[in-house]
Amino acid sequence: MRLKTTREKRILYFKTTLRIFLYGLIVMAGFIYMTCGTWTKAVVLVPTAVCVALNADVLVSAFVGAFCGFLIDIACERLFGYNAVLLAVFCAAISLVYELYFRKRFFNYLWITALAAFLQCRLDYEFYYKMWNYENVERIFHTMTLKVWGYTMISAVIIYIIFAVINKFLMPKAHLTIEDVIKTS
Amino acid sequence: MREFLKSTRFKILLAFIAFLVGIMIYAVTKGGYSLSGASFINTVTKPFRFISNSVSMKLEKTVDRIENADAYYEENQELKKQVGELNKQLTDYDDLKTEVEELRKLVVIKEEHPDSVFSQPADVLGYVANDPFKGFTIDRGYADGIEPYSPVITPEGVVGITIDVSQHTSTVRTILSPDLSVAAVCSDTNTDFGIVEGSVIAAENKKTKLTHLTPDHKLKEDSLIVTAGSSGLFPKDYVIGTVKSMGVDPNGLTAYAEIEPAADITRLSSVFVIMDFDGKKEALDASQDNP
Repeated sequence: MRLKTTREKRILYFKTTLRIFLYGLIVMAGFIYMTCGTWTKAVVLVPTAVCVALNADVLVSAFVGAFCGFLIDIACERLFGYNAVLLAVFCAAISLVYELYFRKRFFNYLWITALAAFLQCRLDYEFYYKMWNYENVERIFHTMTLKVWGYTMISAVIIYIIFAVINKFLMPKAHLTIEDVIKTS
Repeated sequence: MREFLKSTRFKILLAFIAFLVGIMIYAVTKGGYSLSGASFINTVTKPFRFISNSVSMKLEKTVDRIENADAYYEENQELKKQVGELNKQLTDYDDLKTEVEELRKLVVIKEEHPDSVFSQPADVLGYVANDPFKGFTIDRGYADGIEPYSPVITPEGVVGITIDVSQHTSTVRTILSPDLSVAAVCSDTNTDFGIVEGSVIAAENKKTKLTHLTPDHKLKEDSLIVTAGSSGLFPKDYVIGTVKSMGVDPNGLTAYAEIEPAADITRLSSVFVIMDFDGKKEALDASQDNP
């Protein structure tokens, strides 16, 4: 990596700080959205956590996933830490998989988010409704859980676009020296 | 001067003045109406006067603004401050008005149930996201004397029970939930006892169910269902809702009724928590002794 000048370093710090601030803003906006109104809502914090995991280290991803999970627990009035554990594991795994195998493509993001959101919704249904043997409990899965999952997937596209725009302008780019380029080629 | 007084010009001038005085006297006799000549002049000159007046007013304003800019700025700042204070007073007034209305409702409930101890009005902070049974959070917690499993009501009727109490907030489980059972009785007959318990299908229609009724019950449509007060969880004689439909359970031994809650559980803005009532402790103790 080429040595950066002081000015470049300053710009890098500024951009990184701004990017993290914007990520935080999106997370907060997602939480506020999830706590307002009585209608069925997308669990927007799942795709948000996944988006962060695509561009972050495993530990950072797990931390952000846990934080988003705590917020989901508060918004959905679940056992505090339940979703945090789930999302921390999901995000760490996603970050690792992206680091080792996947390219940062929209299609990859979409199916991995679909899987993560479905698992989150299904486990929520299993532990909070099905396990208690309510009469006609499967209706909750069909009328609520699947709807929430569908809404989450729609929101995932919007969130991806927002993150893509932020990353385009604020994500640091790797600088290669001529030697690096020659070696790579 | 003498020459001028003797001249024709002076005579014409005098005649003209006399004419004007004559017009003036004539105008006095018109009783407030303009002379036709004056009207004509007014009509013809009206647009010009309008334009010139506008221009002069604007000029005056501009000059005035330039001259008194500092004074206006000070005045503007003062007025802004006053508007801010008035807005704050208006907000306080609205808050007070809402609080008075809430307390008025509380007085009515208190008169009907003198044995119950109520909390201050609790605002609904928000509904639990994606909860099919419409659980919600209120802005009162154990710092306000709220305990877990305290009944939550509105002036219209029973809403639910507190389940998760923190320092300043509490989560309420509603009567739409299958996890909450309330002993209930029909207030018309006073003999048809049952248990109000939510169900998945009823909750979809914002209703709950009265179960474990005897098949020969006397319930009718729109019968009023109230709390029986036998479990110690809820005080007696609080309205739960009205009967909307009835049926017999598949086992054929018991009947059920669909109840429309008296309070619109999906559109709550504030509620009251019953912190204590006659028979609460005794009944709960008895139920703990004989589980």
